[in-house]
Amino acid sequence: MNKELENSFVELLEKHQNIVHKVCRLYTNNQDAHNDLFQEITIQLWKAYPKFRGDAKFSTWMYRVGLNTAITLYRKSKRTIKTQEFELVSFKIKSEDYDDTEEQQLKLLYKAVHQLNDIEKALVFLYLEDKNYSEISETLGISEVNARVKMNRVKKKLRTILNP
Amino acid sequence: MDELELLKKDWQANSAREDQKISSKDIYPMMQKKSSSIVKTLFYISIAELLFWIILNSYPYFASAEYRAELTAMYGGNSMILLAITVFSYAIILTFVYLLYKTYRTITVTDNAKKLMGKILKTRKIIKYYVIYNLVMAFLSISFGLYYSVYNNPEIAPQFAKFNDKQMFVATVLMVLFTGIFVLVFWVFYRLIYGILLRRLNRNYKELKKLEV
Repeated sequence: MNKELENSFVELLEKHQNIVHKVCRLYTNNQDAHNDLFQEITIQLWKAYPKFRGDAKFSTWMYRVGLNTAITLYRKSKRTIKTQEFELVSFKIKSEDYDDTEEQQLKLLYKAVHQLNDIEKALVFLYLEDKNYSEISETLGISEVNARVKMNRVKKKLRTILNP
Repeated sequence: MDELELLKKDWQANSAREDQKISSKDIYPMMQKKSSSIVKTLFYISIAELLFWIILNSYPYFASAEYRAELTAMYGGNSMILLAITVFSYAIILTFVYLLYKTYRTITVTDNAKKLMGKILKTRKIIKYYVIYNLVMAFLSISFGLYYSVYNNPEIAPQFAKFNDKQMFVATVLMVLFTGIFVLVFWVFYRLIYGILLRRLNRNYKELKKLEV
């Protein structure tokens, strides 16, 4: 591999690394597993990079490779199983309308999202990332209508997890 | 407010975490590491399967002249039949190698999720057919070998010659049964390996397929 390609890849990944971190946060429960998955996604991105064409946005391309790695390719390593769960996000909303109940609700919501299955997580992830249904359907390989139907079901499921 | 909207607001406001940020100098070594993906594992397993059956089938033939002579005798002293069977079995192996190579080449991480899963499962199917082929062949050759021994082996044949029809029938049933169990144990073992390895992939693929109905 030539150095130029390597450098351009590293530069792009460094810039957009947050996408990978977010995938890892959704699909793993602790820092070790997070790093493990981050590593695997990086390898997959790098392997596919020579075929990456500038006509797609690098970030869009990353969503696909990242999710594919998390859902399909990644095999959980042994050391990721029995470790303490870490807090998902620090819920410090620094706005004026900060209130305690909202924070509680968010905590529950993140927990509920973690209980979803892999495909449902992917849907929620793309939704949270503000992707439209046509992008969601293309990434997962399902029709737009089915993506909508599934999303509504996921919303319902989240509601039942929150209010049993 | 919709729960997901609340989540979205927080997700977008707080998802950039400085403490997890990785610098470019950390990325370079990561790129050089070996992948531990399921495709890699499947690839190694398929190579191991190919080698296992090739060695199992050819080792005795090349290692022992006695076995070779016996085999030739089994086919009525006609080494042409033996040669034909050997050529046939290697042709089958080569076909499987070609098919595996072809499907592995089509697996790309930039496909959509469903396509990617479908292609991986297709690869696994080819390995499965290879295993089935070998188990069927193992069943046939063990059965044929036993049948041959019963009538032609100088140590075993005289004992069987004393059997009446009923005893012969029971002996045949037992032999077929034991061969069957032997092959079945192998099969269960394979199912277990792939079942564990591909459990998550199968589950996710089913989940996506379910959406189409």
